[in-house]
Amino acid sequence: MTTEILLDAPRGRYRATNVARAELSKIATLRSTAITAGIAVVACLLVTGLVSHAALHHLPGWYQGFDPTQESLTGMITVALAGGVLGAMLVTGEYASGTIRTTLAAAPRRPMLFAVKLAVTAVLTFVFCEVLSFASFYLGQVILSGGHAPHATLASSGAFRAVTMTGLVIALLTLMSFGFGMIFRSTAAAIAAFVGVVFVLPLVIHGISEAAVKYLPTNILTQSVMATVPQAPPGGGDPNMPLAPGVGLGLMVVYAAVAVAVGAVLFARRDA
Amino acid sequence: MITAHSLTKRYGDSTAVDHLTFEVPSGEVTGFLGPNGSGKSTTMRMVMGLDLPDSGSALIGGRRYADLAWPLREVGALLDAKAFHPARTARNHLKWLALANDIPTRRVDEVLEEVGLTSVANRRVGKFSLGMTQRLGIAAAIIGDPAVLLFDEPVNGLDPEGIRWVRHFLRGLAAQGRTVFVSSHLISEMSLTADRLVVIGRGRLIAETSVADFVARSGGGAVRLVTPDGAAFVPAIHTAGGSVEHEDGSLTVSGLTSQQLGDLAAAGGLRIYELTPITASLEDAFMALTQDDVEYRSTTVPETLTVGEDAGR
Repeated sequence: MTTEILLDAPRGRYRATNVARAELSKIATLRSTAITAGIAVVACLLVTGLVSHAALHHLPGWYQGFDPTQESLTGMITVALAGGVLGAMLVTGEYASGTIRTTLAAAPRRPMLFAVKLAVTAVLTFVFCEVLSFASFYLGQVILSGGHAPHATLASSGAFRAVTMTGLVIALLTLMSFGFGMIFRSTAAAIAAFVGVVFVLPLVIHGISEAAVKYLPTNILTQSVMATVPQAPPGGGDPNMPLAPGVGLGLMVVYAAVAVAVGAVLFARRDA
Repeated sequence: MITAHSLTKRYGDSTAVDHLTFEVPSGEVTGFLGPNGSGKSTTMRMVMGLDLPDSGSALIGGRRYADLAWPLREVGALLDAKAFHPARTARNHLKWLALANDIPTRRVDEVLEEVGLTSVANRRVGKFSLGMTQRLGIAAAIIGDPAVLLFDEPVNGLDPEGIRWVRHFLRGLAAQGRTVFVSSHLISEMSLTADRLVVIGRGRLIAETSVADFVARSGGGAVRLVTPDGAAFVPAIHTAGGSVEHEDGSLTVSGLTSQQLGDLAAAGGLRIYELTPITASLEDAFMALTQDDVEYRSTTVPETLTVGEDAGR
């Protein structure tokens, strides 16, 4: 019996780079990814533009405690929402369409596949969020300085730290949502979990304990990371004082890691 | 070669696959038969490493699917017609698959050509008809030029044209010396495509045999006879050791071959208008063997019992 198998397999076995190329190709060939990213860019710059513009032409007293850096990063909140949707959808889109079974047929070593998916998502969202964070900052400062309002440069105290960390924290929020996607495998459930944690939980926790809201992702993003001006006297023992930027970032890493780790364990153990 | 050894899968209290042991030899088409919910799809998913067995093993060439060096170059599978993102084009779907296993991208156009989808290669898969989707699934299965192929219900829901095409394609793959493991609810399909059969019911092995043996085992064939000389023919048949059933206008003779009936006619000077051997169909054989193992049986009208599409789990 002759077997007409024409392809010669390369040496070794399929590698993470092969899988990464496939994952990138998948992302690049879905219009929904580009649309979500495009909407995020437009919404972010629009919000930053409007908020910065609204901060113009006030009396000098109004600018007491004004934080031009934080002001110019306001639009990044919309990016957090877009990241949450995208992070979940990159995973759940595969489950909804059944593509995940094809993916697993091509790359059945699940821990490797998970790591590649996570790495691809992390790198893409990190780059995207950082670029957008800088763009938002510059747009805001151009508007503020053009209107003779207090403004900042990257050299201003805490500004560079705020801009870079904002992008990083939103990338981490996206990875948390990626974890939710792996846990729930349904777009609706994963996005509901993300919106619940990021946008609903702060309201609920605020009603229970005001001092606890500072530990939430939303407050870490908007209070600890985006701000350069402390909002309460430091060391004053005020329990509602936001976490220090580094502490907030560390906690955000923990949140994302927990969601991703639970997702990874379930992905490795569950039937696809 | 695919080997399942004591393969078991439970979902809660129900056992979908129960200590299933079978072999799919290299270079042959092995049909996988079983009634609704008998565990065929689950078994195939376990072979592919998609579902994890509770116990036992399913190996391909002695290795677990997850341990294959270049999975798509070794095994091709069509388990689910709906395994594509609807917004991606056919070409782009095959492209990422090729990238995942370092398969030359020229294979994308080659397999599109082979399954006849070249003209719609840049169309979104969501707009595809079931037949086109099935062709794309087959293109995806063969992109790595694998020696082992698994097809779960490949003709399910296809029109006669599509069924013919798939049947022809599978036989072509087998003729190239590939191992083909195919489940189908169209039992007659198996008599046309398969060399061997693995028959299961309620997750347990019922038979593992050649198609010919399987049919033979379930009782011999009969012959349909149309004759104007029935009055003389019937006693002759009885004398020769056969039995006769009358059906509108014809006789169904069992116990004698058409050759023996022809000889009888010649000896007695009897006229024959029609003489048709009725092979016990694979379907009859299947029904006879699995009637105790059908999970969702209609008790009131058993004659309409159908082996429908595999509902999976």
